[in-house]
Amino acid sequence: MNDRIVFEDVSKFYGEILGVNRINLSIPAGITSLVGPNGSGKTTLMNLMTGLVRPTRGRIQVLDYKTDDPENLFKILGYSTQFDAFPKGLTGFQFVYSYLRLAGRTSESAEQMAWRAIERVNLVDAARRNVAGYSKGMRQRIRLAQALAHDPKVVVLDEPLNGLDPLARSEMIALFRSTAAQGCYVIISSHILHEVDVISDQVILLSNGYVVAEGPIHNVRSEIQEHPTQILIRCSQPRELAAKMFEYPQTIEVSIHKDEGGLLLKTRDADRFYLTLNEMAVNGIDIESIAPADDDVLSVYEYLIGNEEAVR
Amino acid sequence: MKKTVKGIWWAQIKAVIRLEMKKTFFAKRGLWIYLVAALPVLLFIAYAIATSSQQNRSASVARQGVKRLAYQDLLAVKPGMTSEEVMAILGKPPITFHWTEDRPTQDGTNGSIRVNHEDFHYSDGQNDLFVGLANGKVESLNIRQGINLGQDSIMFAAVFQFFFLRLAVFFGCLGIFMNLFRGEILDRSLHFYFLAPMRREVLMAGKFLAGLLATCTIFGLSEVLQTIAFVWHFPPGVRDYYLYHNHGLEYAAIYLGVTLLACVGYGAFFLVAGMMFRNPILPAAAILIWEGINPFLPSVLRQFSVIYYLKSFCPVDIPASPGTPAVFALLISNSNPVPAATAILGILIVALIALYVSSVQVRRMEINYTTE
Repeated sequence: MNDRIVFEDVSKFYGEILGVNRINLSIPAGITSLVGPNGSGKTTLMNLMTGLVRPTRGRIQVLDYKTDDPENLFKILGYSTQFDAFPKGLTGFQFVYSYLRLAGRTSESAEQMAWRAIERVNLVDAARRNVAGYSKGMRQRIRLAQALAHDPKVVVLDEPLNGLDPLARSEMIALFRSTAAQGCYVIISSHILHEVDVISDQVILLSNGYVVAEGPIHNVRSEIQEHPTQILIRCSQPRELAAKMFEYPQTIEVSIHKDEGGLLLKTRDADRFYLTLNEMAVNGIDIESIAPADDDVLSVYEYLIGNEEAVR
Repeated sequence: MKKTVKGIWWAQIKAVIRLEMKKTFFAKRGLWIYLVAALPVLLFIAYAIATSSQQNRSASVARQGVKRLAYQDLLAVKPGMTSEEVMAILGKPPITFHWTEDRPTQDGTNGSIRVNHEDFHYSDGQNDLFVGLANGKVESLNIRQGINLGQDSIMFAAVFQFFFLRLAVFFGCLGIFMNLFRGEILDRSLHFYFLAPMRREVLMAGKFLAGLLATCTIFGLSEVLQTIAFVWHFPPGVRDYYLYHNHGLEYAAIYLGVTLLACVGYGAFFLVAGMMFRNPILPAAAILIWEGINPFLPSVLRQFSVIYYLKSFCPVDIPASPGTPAVFALLISNSNPVPAATAILGILIVALIALYVSSVQVRRMEINYTTE
């Protein structure tokens, strides 16, 4: 049995326009985030993964299933798309219920599962209302309910936090985490980088249709040797510590934090630096906390693709 | 209890039909289909009202007459008879109309002679006779038949073949079947179906059956109502004779069957056209032309047409009037009717070929709304 979502040399062209090119990925269970600016190929990658578009070249396999076999693929996969259109005249409940009936479920089972999914996304009160009257956030949540309704092993969510208020976002993030904790594959695309950073087990960074980096955030960060790691050190004697830091060749730059309660240091060899810092702590400098200042997706993304695109 | 694969497919087809019903029956953009289906019904209702009104007038004229007349009496009047001879046969006319005319002389001079005209109107209660007399002699005769089953049957057949079948059912099927996929691509909601664990062919079958259910209901009902409106104005005796002793019921059943077969044939054509073309006008025009030129095609090509088989079923031949141009006469004629079994099989084969192409097409379909 295959336990990965595999892309082998996958390319997709829309006529002469590049969607994605030469993608090779092997996605394990857990939360995987696709990060990239508009037009970088996130949605194309998701549509390829779910068979909504066919690759121009290459092969895709989702666990044991090929993407041109929707009858079996969607038994284990749920996809919340970014398409903001619904079949006309349906209520929220009918939308999820109809999907389950299309899946071949009996009326009783579909009703039960639909209500359970609607409860999971906290939309019970509005479930009897027509979807056409929903707010953007509600439409987002009902799409999530549809994607999760049949308890899929793989959940693909295109910009799932778009349009949600902060409370709903934290609820949804908790939902993604609990889904992933059950051994599921949760693939998320998002522009909200810091939220992705917090919830992801691994990231796939995309730019102009190419994968520029993939793997756990920390590993991806370590691969970018040309960009020094920034470390924020909180201590009571930042100036003394700064002076000592310059004695070590790994140190590139040190600046005192504006609140005078610590310093920001740049180094090319973070691992060796942490060892050095331990020695200093032993030798009498009182260090309150040490934290990487740029070991997050935003920083990694800025380094890889450039500040201009990351901000977009 | 665990469902078999075919059981699941059938459950999925039913789920698709349930979802499509609202769209096919109650879509605002489909209201014109009801109008097109209702037009021949309205036409026959109008005809029935006009004929009933005329029958009432005829009965009134007949009541005013001094003699109770039969149809044979009306036929007994001949041109050249004098007014006295006419009145001897038919009695004093219930309605008369006098007028004079200055008619030019035929001897080449510019003079004219005065002609006294009398028009007599007789009726046997159903048929009217209009006698035109000039200077006391019958000059013109005009019999207006109240009910002529043969003529009415031909009129019904002509409306059925040339309006209902070739235009109403044709464009109705276009409106419903082409929208099954194309409408959802334009609404950007087709992905809802594509995300379900369902074979695309099962989806296509469900949508086709939903379209078929809608068109068969709308046009089948229209056909039944047309028949009711058509026989409504007949007096009870004539109606019973027509329905039970003059193939009336049989014809009605055949027309209904042809309507349903037309929905199958055109439906399959337009389903595949809706998947292959973004603009429905082009394939619709192409199919309309193809169906129109069917009589002029070689016999091999004729078989790839729905109208070729449907025409063979139509129970009443429409005679071409003398002087009809050859092209129109060919359109009207049904020179090589196909046996019923062959015709049904032919339509089903044509529909199956179209559905096979649709199933290949639906498997290849991608969701890429931005290019639409």
